[in-house]
Amino acid sequence: MPIETIIGAWVATGLTLFIFSFLYKDNPLFKLAENLYVGVSVGYTIVKTYDTVIMHLIWKPIVENGEWALLIPVAIGLLMLTRYVPKAAWMSRYAFAFIVGVGSGLAIPRVISSYILKQIEDTVRPLMVLVPGDGVTFTWSLLNPASGLNTIIILVGVSSVLFYFFFSVEHTGPGRAVARTGILFLMIAFGAAFGYTVMARMSLLIGRLMDLIEFSDASYGQPTLWLLAITMLTLATLAFMSRRHQGNPPESH
Amino acid sequence: MIFLRRQMPLLITLLAGLVFAAQYYVPHPASEQLLTSVTKWLQIIGGFALILGVSSLFHVHAVKIRRKEAGWGYSFVLYASMLGTIAIGLWANGKEAVDGTITAFGWIYSYMMVPLQGTMFAILAFFIASAAYRSFRARSREAAVLLVAAVIVMMGRVPLGEYILPLSGDVSQWILNVLNASVRRAILIGVSLGTVALSFKIIFGVERSYLGGGKE
Amino acid sequence: MTFAERMLKIDRRIIFLVIGLCTLLPLLNPVGLPIKISPEVRGVYDYIESLPEGSVFLVSLDFDPASKPELQPQSVALLRHAFRKNLRVVAMTLWVTGTGLADQIITQVAREMGKESGKDYVFLGWSPGGTAVIINMGQDLYSAFPADYNGKPTKGLSVLQGITNLRDVNYAISLAAGNPGVEAWYVFGKDKYKFELGGGCTGVMAPGLYPLLRSGQINGLIGGLRGAAEYESLIGQKGKAVAGMDAQSATHLAIIVLVIICNVFYLSLRKAARQQGQSRA
Repeated sequence: MPIETIIGAWVATGLTLFIFSFLYKDNPLFKLAENLYVGVSVGYTIVKTYDTVIMHLIWKPIVENGEWALLIPVAIGLLMLTRYVPKAAWMSRYAFAFIVGVGSGLAIPRVISSYILKQIEDTVRPLMVLVPGDGVTFTWSLLNPASGLNTIIILVGVSSVLFYFFFSVEHTGPGRAVARTGILFLMIAFGAAFGYTVMARMSLLIGRLMDLIEFSDASYGQPTLWLLAITMLTLATLAFMSRRHQGNPPESH
Repeated sequence: MIFLRRQMPLLITLLAGLVFAAQYYVPHPASEQLLTSVTKWLQIIGGFALILGVSSLFHVHAVKIRRKEAGWGYSFVLYASMLGTIAIGLWANGKEAVDGTITAFGWIYSYMMVPLQGTMFAILAFFIASAAYRSFRARSREAAVLLVAAVIVMMGRVPLGEYILPLSGDVSQWILNVLNASVRRAILIGVSLGTVALSFKIIFGVERSYLGGGKE
Repeated sequence: MTFAERMLKIDRRIIFLVIGLCTLLPLLNPVGLPIKISPEVRGVYDYIESLPEGSVFLVSLDFDPASKPELQPQSVALLRHAFRKNLRVVAMTLWVTGTGLADQIITQVAREMGKESGKDYVFLGWSPGGTAVIINMGQDLYSAFPADYNGKPTKGLSVLQGITNLRDVNYAISLAAGNPGVEAWYVFGKDKYKFELGGGCTGVMAPGLYPLLRSGQINGLIGGLRGAAEYESLIGQKGKAVAGMDAQSATHLAIIVLVIICNVFYLSLRKAARQQGQSRA
C-alpha cells in the first residue's frame, strides 16, 4: 500500500470523525473541519475554473487557433467583475443584461414545449382511448400506471391541485370540494417525498460508514479505531477543561 | 449618461431575449450558428460568474481576520486551506491524476474534500430522524394522510418492508406513479407558467432586480 | 411530567445512537434479502440491452461528493453494463466539484473492463455554463469540448468518429443530484435534439421526476441507492448498493417505529388533555 494512501486514509477518517463529533456537541474539532471544508471546496473550484476557462476555453483557442471572436465574452466577463469597483459598477449591468436576456430568451420556448405543452398532452392523450369509438377498452388495473382507471385518477389529481393553487378564485361551494381533493393529493405526494428524503439521507450515512469500515482495515493501520479513541479523548479533555474554567471563581480586583 | 446607465441595459435585455426566443423557431443555418457561438460565450462568461461568486467569500473572511473578530482563527484556517489548495492545484496543472498516478491536488480532493463534503451531508440522516420523532405528529386529518403515505413508501422501498408486507411495495409503486406523478405534474406546470411569466417580465423590463450594482 | 411527556422530550442523542447502530450493525453482519426490480429501472436496463455494439452512449455524472453514496454505485453499474455491451461511452459532468470523482469512476471501471481512453471511451471533463453546455453540445460537440479531460483534442479521437453533435447520440443518461440535471438535459437537450434520454437521481429528486417518466420524456429512472441496487442485480454484479440495502431496511424500520411511537405518545397526551378539559367543564 503506497504511503500517500495510508496517510490519506488517516486524514480522511480523522476529518470524518471530527464532523461526526458535532452529533455529541458543537466543538472546536468540528469547527476546524467545517472551515477546512469550505476552504478546500472553494480552492478546488477556483483551480478547476482557471484551468478549464482560462487555459482551455480562452488561451488555447485564441493563441493556438486564432479564434479572436472569443475576446468578446472575455470582455463581457471582465465587465461583470467591475461590480466590485463602486465607481464603475454600472458597467456590470451590461454584462448581466446580456446574460439574463439570453437566458430568458433561451428558456421561454423550451420550457413551454417541455413542461407545459408536453405535460398537458400526456395528461389528456390517454383519455382519447376512453372516447367511444372503435374497440373501446377500459382497463381497471391499478398496478399499471397507464390503465384507464389510473388515467382518470391522474387527470383528477392534476386538475384539483392546479385549481387549489389558483388563488384568484375563492374556494367556496363546488370549488371547495375540488380544493379539498387537491389538498388530499398534495398530502399524499408530500408523504411520498418525505419517505424518499429519509431514504436518501440514510443512504448518505450508509455510504460514509462503509468508507469508515473500509478504512478500519489492518492494511491501513486501523485508523478508524485509533482516531475514534483520540477524538473521544479530545472531546472529554475539552469538556473537562471548560468545566474547570467555569468552576474556578473569577479573581476579584 | 442616464440613458447609458439605465435604459441601455434594458434595451440589451430586450433585444437579446427576443432574438433568442425567436431563434428556437428559425431553422436557418445562420440562426443555428448564432446559437452555437453565443452558448460558447455563455460558457466562458459562466466561468467569470463563478469567480464573482467566490470573491465575496474572500472578502467576508478577510475582513474577519483583519479585525480579529471572534472566531477569526477559524477564518484563518479557511483562508490557509483555500490558498494552499489553489497553490497545489496550479502546481499540478489542475490535474488530479497523471497517467494513473495521483497528484497532490488529487490527494487533497480524494482524502480531504470527498470525506468532508460527504460527512457534512451524512450527518443529516441523524437530524432527519430526530426531527421526525419530535415533529411528525398527526395533528390533523391531512397530517395523518401525509404520515400514512410516508410510512407506506418507506416500507415499500426497502427489501425488508417488501418481505414483511408484499402489498406495501405495490401500493408505494402506485402512490409514486399515479398520485405523486399527478401532483408533481401540476406543480411542474404551475411553476413553469410562473417561470415563463417571469422571463417575459425580465425581457420587457418590468422586472429589473437582476441589474443591481451602482446607484439609480 | 408523565411518562408520555418525558418520552416525547427525550434527548436527541439517544435517537442518534439508535440510528447509528441501525446503520452500522447490518453493514457488519449482512443478511441479503431479495430485491424486487421496479419497471422504472428496468426501462433503462432494457434500452441499453437493446443497443447494438458501437452505439454512442453519453453519461453525464452531474453530482458532487455529497451524493457519492447514492450516485457512484449507479455510475459504476451503468458503465459496467455499457462497456460489457461494447458501446462507445462519452462521459462528462456539469458539476465542477464532481470532476475529480467522475474521472476516478470512469478510469476505475474502464481499467477493470479493459477499455482504452480515446478508442472505447472518452471523458470530456467539466465546462462552466450548465445549460449553455448542453445547448452548445447539441449544436456542435467540438465547440463545447475542444479537448478531453487529459488535454487531447476531441476532433481526432476514434471513439467520437462520425459524431458532430447530440443528434448523433443514441442514448444519454444524466445521473443528477440537483440542477443542472435530468430536467436540464431534457429541456435544453432532448426537446430540440431528439436523442433518447434516461435518468438517474438521488432519493430527494426522484419523486419530482415521475411526471417526466410517465410522459415518456425520460424512458427510465434509477432512483437513489435502491435503484442502484436493482441495477446491480440486473447486470448480475453486486456491489456497494446491494451491500447497503440491509442497513437501509433497518434504518427505515427504525424511523417507522420512532414515528409510530411518537404518535402513540402524542395521541395519548391529547386524549388525556381532552378528558381533563371535559372533567373540568
